[in-house]
Amino acid sequence: MNSHELPDAKLQELAQRLGVGAAERLDVERTAQAVVTRLRDAPPLTVTARLGIQPAWLKIAAAVLLLLGAGLVTRGLRHEPRMTSTLVGSVAEDLSDLTPPQLRETIASLDLPWGQESWPVDTGLEGLSADELRALLRALEG
Amino acid sequence: MPQAEPVAAVPTDAALIAAWQGGDEQAAAELVRRHARALARFLSGAGALEADLDDLVQETFIRAFRAVGRFRGQCRFRTWLLTIGGNVLKDAARRAKRSRAVPLGEDVRATDGDPHERAVAGEAEGRLRQGLERLSRMQREVFLLRAQQGLDYEEIAAALETSPGAARVHYHHAVKRLKEYLS
Repeated sequence: MNSHELPDAKLQELAQRLGVGAAERLDVERTAQAVVTRLRDAPPLTVTARLGIQPAWLKIAAAVLLLLGAGLVTRGLRHEPRMTSTLVGSVAEDLSDLTPPQLRETIASLDLPWGQESWPVDTGLEGLSADELRALLRALEG
Repeated sequence: MPQAEPVAAVPTDAALIAAWQGGDEQAAAELVRRHARALARFLSGAGALEADLDDLVQETFIRAFRAVGRFRGQCRFRTWLLTIGGNVLKDAARRAKRSRAVPLGEDVRATDGDPHERAVAGEAEGRLRQGLERLSRMQREVFLLRAQQGLDYEEIAAALETSPGAARVHYHHAVKRLKEYLS
């Protein structure tokens, strides 16, 4: 059996059944009362109470973190082109695993200037020009 | 002619959230009643053991109610709740660090219907659970939000802070890998 013999509808039907029995066995009323009781009995803790530290120390720690953060941001800006290319690479890797029909559906959903109509049926990612690929990646990254 | 009883309007999630923020505990309870089963299904699909389900559902609602001030209506309350559930499950798995036995499919435990059909259906669900475990967290959550919860890509993207196009790619990638695993 090849990887595309299981129809989407069958997979969706299986997914919709997943967890139905467990959810039905959940005592919703008891859960609702337990949540209300927990909310009443344990009001949200402040950071200082939760960690058992004095607010003054917290301010000092925050100032140190701010300084460290500023340093990291400055360093990060220098490396931004590398980070972007990694991100684009990851999406491109996901795209390359799509079949031509799935790729066609993705492209059609993105409202790109070259739409589904002009897309050959059996063409995969390799059929895109450099400009088209760039536009697709830009659209996917929002 | 007797006058018909006025039908009480069902409060929206937004109205219940506002009531809870105003101190109405019953509004919180109503939100739990409304969304607990969908959340339980999502958590179960994402790998939660049935024995842990009640605790995970409670913890998700507690976190959601405490953070509800940060909910800006970017997606439906239920969708936002499901993404919090995903975080709760991840934290619980990290704490427990125990190997998860794949539970029997729901239909194996059910008592109605033909036993053979139940066993076959239960086996298929068990395989799907195993397949879902092999996906990345993003692929798994996008798949469950789309295939199990029936959400559209715009809603999924808003909840997971990504673009609809990227959500669509994650979904197709998840379907492809699940089909390969199940075939």
